[in-house]
Amino acid sequence: MNMGGAIRAIISFLIFVVLHYTLRPLLGWRAPMDFLILALLLAAVRVRPSTAAVIGFILGLISDSLAPDALGAGALAMTTVGFGASYLKAVFFADNLVLNAFFFFLGKWVFDIMYFIVEQRVHGVELVQQLLLWSPLSAAVTAAVGVLLLFIMRPLLEPTPT
Amino acid sequence: VARAIRSNTRLDLIVLATCAVLALAARALPNTMRDPVATTMRRSFLAPLVLLQERSEKGRQSLLAADAKQARLDSLSLDAMKAGSLEAENERLRKVIGLGSRVRWGFVPAEALHGRGIRDETTVILSAGSRAGISRLSPVIAPEGLVGVVDQVDPTMSHAMLWTHPDFRVSAMSPDGTAFGIAQAHLTGATGGYLIELRGVPFRATLKPGALIVSSGWGGVWPRGIPVGTVLQEIKTTEGWARTYLLRPAVNPADVYSVMILRRDRLAKGLEGVWQSVAQADAAAQRIVVSGDSAARTAALAEAAARRAVLDSIARANGTPALGATDSTGAPRVVAPRPVPVRRPPPPDTTPRDTTRRDTVPRRDTISQRPGMTR
Repeated sequence: MNMGGAIRAIISFLIFVVLHYTLRPLLGWRAPMDFLILALLLAAVRVRPSTAAVIGFILGLISDSLAPDALGAGALAMTTVGFGASYLKAVFFADNLVLNAFFFFLGKWVFDIMYFIVEQRVHGVELVQQLLLWSPLSAAVTAAVGVLLLFIMRPLLEPTPT
Repeated sequence: VARAIRSNTRLDLIVLATCAVLALAARALPNTMRDPVATTMRRSFLAPLVLLQERSEKGRQSLLAADAKQARLDSLSLDAMKAGSLEAENERLRKVIGLGSRVRWGFVPAEALHGRGIRDETTVILSAGSRAGISRLSPVIAPEGLVGVVDQVDPTMSHAMLWTHPDFRVSAMSPDGTAFGIAQAHLTGATGGYLIELRGVPFRATLKPGALIVSSGWGGVWPRGIPVGTVLQEIKTTEGWARTYLLRPAVNPADVYSVMILRRDRLAKGLEGVWQSVAQADAAAQRIVVSGDSAARTAALAEAAARRAVLDSIARANGTPALGATDSTGAPRVVAPRPVPVRRPPPPDTTPRDTTRRDTVPRRDTISQRPGMTR
């Protein structure tokens, strides 16, 4: 990735982070989209797994700092998701919106599963309901929004032709 | 190449393990350490993001509350629109209650229901009927004066002819009884406004603008003393043997919503003094205001005269002409009241009581008794 592509990727990353703290609370949906996961996944497919893990760790700490009781849970989940996404980018990094949508869906769902299990705030039936109902819904919304943003931000995200 | 790949993979795994260990360590922190770490992050480099989130939350709350706020605003606007009419209605009801306390008995309060059709401005439906003691030709009055007369009676409601009706007539007079006439509606023109004509006033009787006209009590329908209107002007008619005056009606029928219907047995006792007491109260209040103004004026004149007297005294002491002497306007001078000499208390007597003072013998000052001398 050349310098121009890196700058565009960083700008896209920052846009997603800002959207996470503006559009998400503004909408206030019960199954919200997760722009941090989208940012992490879009960055992860462009960097090495170790870098993706560090990015995930930092993003996780950022999200955890707003919920101190879960400090560390988000960091661990995002580290894992970032590393996994970067490691599996050969599988998912394709110019196919459906594959990208599945990529986003899977990333968000895995993140939620790890997060709620490590957080240990929700137990029993409520945890099952969260992981099998609300998390997939949230992952679906995240995937839909991710695909929409990919479509909108295609000029920013496409690699520079050499 | 294979070694480099293996090395990179090993590095990735080391970084992953480090991040995971750090995350687990953060997760394992006790609350006393976890909160300061999170707080430090929120207050430092995450502060802009926290601010963005707070504003977004407020924006969402504002959006959610917008409908409720709009509903409250609409309710307040509606209440504000109703407030004026409610105040006016309260005022009318207070007047009706005041009239009821003066009439004391023999009346039925009723609501006047106006129609909106042709000729409906001359009639009205009343919410009291024969069951309440209403009969045909019962007078309908308002706190301001005459409204109309009942012409049809049902058990629970009645129909009244307002004074604006073309067939309505009432015998009227000036309160002192010097001028009599027959009052009837007077349509002022295409605008549809109504005044009252007082016809048949004897030629020798003249009424000044503003004079009150009341019902005379002749005819047996209307008791004496109900205000009909006030004189606006005399109008010229073809009748040369009598005068016709235009009156401003005491009651505007369009504003009548609460009225009183007088029962027939009340008419025999008359309504003397019911409206007169109101007029007397108004006149008394006016007199109080006028007398207050007079007292204030007198006090101001006295104060001005006292000041002038002091200035004159100073001028005389300085050997200059008195200020009043230079008054060339010829206006009568206000005589200043002479200041009352201040009686100072005598100095304390320090002489022992057992001694006789030399000045205990009263002196006779004869100087002041000399004729022509002033002190």
